[in-house]
Amino acid sequence: MLRLTVLGVLAHRVRYAMTALAVLLGVAFIAGTLVLTDTIGRTFDGLFVDIYHDTSAVVRGQQAFSAPANFASVRPAIPDTLVAQVRAVPGVREVRVGIDGYAQLVGTDGKAIGNPAAGAPTLGQAWNATRTMNPYRFLPGSQPPVTATEVAIDKHSADAGHLRVGDRVTVLTKRAPAVYRIVGIFRWGSADSPLGASITLFDATTAANVLGEPGKVSEIDVAADPGVSQAELVHRLSGALAGARVDIVTGQQVTREGQSAVRKALGFFNTFLLAFALIALFVGSFLIFNTFSIVVAQRLRELGLLRAVGASRLQVTASVLGESTLIGLLASAAGLGAGIGLAVALRALLVAFGIDIPSTGLSITGRTVLVSMLAGTVVTVLAALQPARRAGAVAPIVALQAPVTSERPRTVRRTISGATVTGLGLLALLIGLFAGVSDRLVIVGSGAAITFLGVSIFGPVLVGPVARAIGVPLAARGTAGRLARNNVLRAPKRTASSAAALMIGVALVAVMSTLAASIRSSISAVVDRTMRADFVISSGGQAANSIAGLSPSLADRLALLPQVASATGVRADTVRIFGSTTVVLATDPAQVSQLFDVQPRQGQLATLSAGQLAISQHVADTRKLRLGDPVPVTFVRGVHSFTVGAIYGARDLAGDYVLPIAAAQQWFTSQLDFQVYVRLAGGTSAEAGRAVLTQQLKAYPSATLMDRSEYKHAQEAQIDQLLNLVYALLGLALIIALVGIGNTLALSIHERRRELGLLRAVGMTKSQLRRTVQAEAGIVSVFGTGQGLLVGVLLGWAVVAAMHSQGVTRLSVPVLQLLLVALIAIGAGVLASVAPSRRAARLQVLQAIAADE
Amino acid sequence: MTLATQRSPGTGSTEQVAAAMVAGVRVYGAGETAVRALDGVDVQFRAGQFTAIMGPSGSGKSTLLHCLAGLDRLTSGKAFVGDTELSALNDRAMTLLRRERIGFVFQSFNLVPTLTARENIVLPLSLGGSKPDAAWFGALTAALGIDQRLAHRPDELSGGQQQRVAMARAMITRPELILADEPTGNLDSHAAAELLGQMRAAVDTYGQTVVMVTHDARAAAFADRVVFLSDGRIVRELLAPTSELILATIQQLGT
Repeated sequence: MLRLTVLGVLAHRVRYAMTALAVLLGVAFIAGTLVLTDTIGRTFDGLFVDIYHDTSAVVRGQQAFSAPANFASVRPAIPDTLVAQVRAVPGVREVRVGIDGYAQLVGTDGKAIGNPAAGAPTLGQAWNATRTMNPYRFLPGSQPPVTATEVAIDKHSADAGHLRVGDRVTVLTKRAPAVYRIVGIFRWGSADSPLGASITLFDATTAANVLGEPGKVSEIDVAADPGVSQAELVHRLSGALAGARVDIVTGQQVTREGQSAVRKALGFFNTFLLAFALIALFVGSFLIFNTFSIVVAQRLRELGLLRAVGASRLQVTASVLGESTLIGLLASAAGLGAGIGLAVALRALLVAFGIDIPSTGLSITGRTVLVSMLAGTVVTVLAALQPARRAGAVAPIVALQAPVTSERPRTVRRTISGATVTGLGLLALLIGLFAGVSDRLVIVGSGAAITFLGVSIFGPVLVGPVARAIGVPLAARGTAGRLARNNVLRAPKRTASSAAALMIGVALVAVMSTLAASIRSSISAVVDRTMRADFVISSGGQAANSIAGLSPSLADRLALLPQVASATGVRADTVRIFGSTTVVLATDPAQVSQLFDVQPRQGQLATLSAGQLAISQHVADTRKLRLGDPVPVTFVRGVHSFTVGAIYGARDLAGDYVLPIAAAQQWFTSQLDFQVYVRLAGGTSAEAGRAVLTQQLKAYPSATLMDRSEYKHAQEAQIDQLLNLVYALLGLALIIALVGIGNTLALSIHERRRELGLLRAVGMTKSQLRRTVQAEAGIVSVFGTGQGLLVGVLLGWAVVAAMHSQGVTRLSVPVLQLLLVALIAIGAGVLASVAPSRRAARLQVLQAIAADE
Repeated sequence: MTLATQRSPGTGSTEQVAAAMVAGVRVYGAGETAVRALDGVDVQFRAGQFTAIMGPSGSGKSTLLHCLAGLDRLTSGKAFVGDTELSALNDRAMTLLRRERIGFVFQSFNLVPTLTARENIVLPLSLGGSKPDAAWFGALTAALGIDQRLAHRPDELSGGQQQRVAMARAMITRPELILADEPTGNLDSHAAAELLGQMRAAVDTYGQTVVMVTHDARAAAFADRVVFLSDGRIVRELLAPTSELILATIQQLGT
């Protein structure tokens, strides 16, 4: 039987090659993702070991909770008096005083270097002339900074900004911008910079001044004398510093933390790419199912013969499953190979995005090989399971009979099972979307997959009426159209599963488009409704936990201008309130109503004191909070209980909690504004305002000035950028679906070659035959696309509804865009039929007629 | 309606040649394995005549038919349908010739399974975008006894009915030439006799020209003329044949 299996695969190698292609693409994505993240992970594992190898212990501030870190220290600073205490501990060989903060380099073109919006922070650090514990590897001709006007910068930033030793560079910090001379360029361990973050080194005094807080340092790194273990040193330090609010850990611990921070950052990337790999495999499984179904249908006689000569049912099933296993293994192996290539390409892409990854050998682990091979093979075998069982069920007598390829869907059974499965899928989807459960992504994803399966079970029932309706204009145009319609109707199951793959691709695109359009129109509506400011100045950084931002000096400076009525900075931080991690905003309460319509409900926002906070009506309702009730807030630096001072309605822009700026100054990690809102004085025109603000902003190159419509566009552009990435990845699923349509057609044509020969014999021209096949693909594509749009918009509506509390308050169906998607999908479907239709037209009439079967 | 009005202009004269082959050679393959399916065939088929082509398997009778039908091309020599020399035609012209001037009945798989009997019959016309002459369609289907089965799909028809639908399709365009390749090969004797009688009637009543390949002496006896082929050459002809005469000739030829 094994020999038969191999021969069976060889006999249908072209068809199976197409099937394998679908598996290959999915597996390549999985393998590529794993190889890339493993490689990056391993690289940074090594990097952290290298950098901390001589650090025995670290003394640092205590964290009340661990906010998602972003390389930058978000721990509270510790008193500098501890440094002397640490030095006095026996066994301490050397001490390095770390002072970290925000420092943004400005290139010679006046633009900020680096891309804080992409997540890479711009850091400033203090130079310590220690023999140990220095991660900085200075390039030849470089020196560390020793005076207040000198800096050294990392090689990645130097390359990006075309900066050399001796150049002058502007550096933005939380103090006023200043110009420094570059005295050194260094690498960070073996990397040009940590993941593309930029580092500016100042001498210790300057660092304390521009980065740190007076009398405080970020952390104290300690190297031990020979013979003193890390644990022993931590023990001694703990004794010596008893009473100080500090966290003392070993160098190994810090190494592990750094490593796991990188792994965590990669985790998101990993999940994102793997989701698309799964989509590709899922869509591919329809293609596999269809190919095996058709091949089994075409081999009924052969299978009947096997049964007639004594093969058991199980043996026949096993032989088909064997074929699928063989194809799965081959395709997965090829996919693994392609995935390694893909990893190289993805790494190049990341580097192009400014994320610096030291180039090392690729890390291909046993896990990657196992997962890739298993995923591809299991999907192939699962998809072939039903056709294989059908093959086993072939009666021996079929060997002696003319094959019957007519199939009638069992409408009632299908309707019931389709409705049940669709219902289950939707239920899972809704639970995932609306119930407060963990692992939402997994539940929503499985729900969507089950829904798609359910709809595809429905498919054959729908094919009849729908194809008849679509076929009306085609049939009216002549025999080719009528034949095409009849062919589609002949095998409703085949038509439906061929269209199902396209349905999924189109549906996913429709979901994303609907979601994106809704987010866009919601943003637009919120800005129109609640924003009173004329201009927004953005740092380009993330709302919270990005160390990038605008110096508070900017808002102060702008507020003094006669053309400006109000200029207020908004800060953000990540905190825990009522057990969940959330972002809170802080701003000057007195200015809020000038800049936003926050729809005050109770209390006075303007008179909020340092011990009070404002909450949204939503939180007030769900938490049953009233004015004067306590709200404990856990900051990284500690816990503080605020009382409710005001309740407001507009949570779309402000979120659920707003703190007064005084609270932020005391508790927030970063003392930078992430946005500054400006309202012009009465009588100042927008043009005049823009001119004066632009003039002021020259000194702050990281700032972007936007009026309301520009602000809306900027927000929309961010969504579009993400959407385009998603589209590119979903394009993969669409391509697989189209390969499926082409493959199904090619198989059907092979099956119908006698009929096609007959048509040619009685006078059908080649072009008529081509048109027939293309019209068939057209009907299948219209069917799949139509289903996809319908399902997609419905799912999109559900997702939008679920995101209502996240500020997506408007459902917007992008009709034009969806029509365009539909046109592309249908056009591509017809395009996919061009090759099979040509092959059909090239059939030798005589051979086709003479073909047995 | 008289018989004369049913005749198409092309078949008006019984002396006209409906199809012919001159020095027809068809070689399959090349070198040592080359097979000469037709090896210098000269033959004419008069309009309004029913001709049977007989011969043992591999004698080239189907190849002869295919080359006349525009389904296959001669290696050398010439094949004519009316005055048209087939080797000069490109694929499209050949297709139009098949559609408009030739009717074909095969042994099996004669009908498109997704079309009804009516759609199958009018297929050559609808492929050309034209509508059937309702009177002709009615007379034809009535004469073939299938006028009650027109809305059925092929898989709902008996073998004999299917072949009669195929016959109707072959005649719907009133072609110059009807070619039949063992049309009774898959039928029982009763259905076979019925179909042959209808082919005979098509010749007698409508002046159709029919060329039929068969290896059944009883079927050949329905023809006006029998042409015997052996090893790609015409070896004998019989006019006004009977079954006995045909069988005797076959025995004589020793095949």
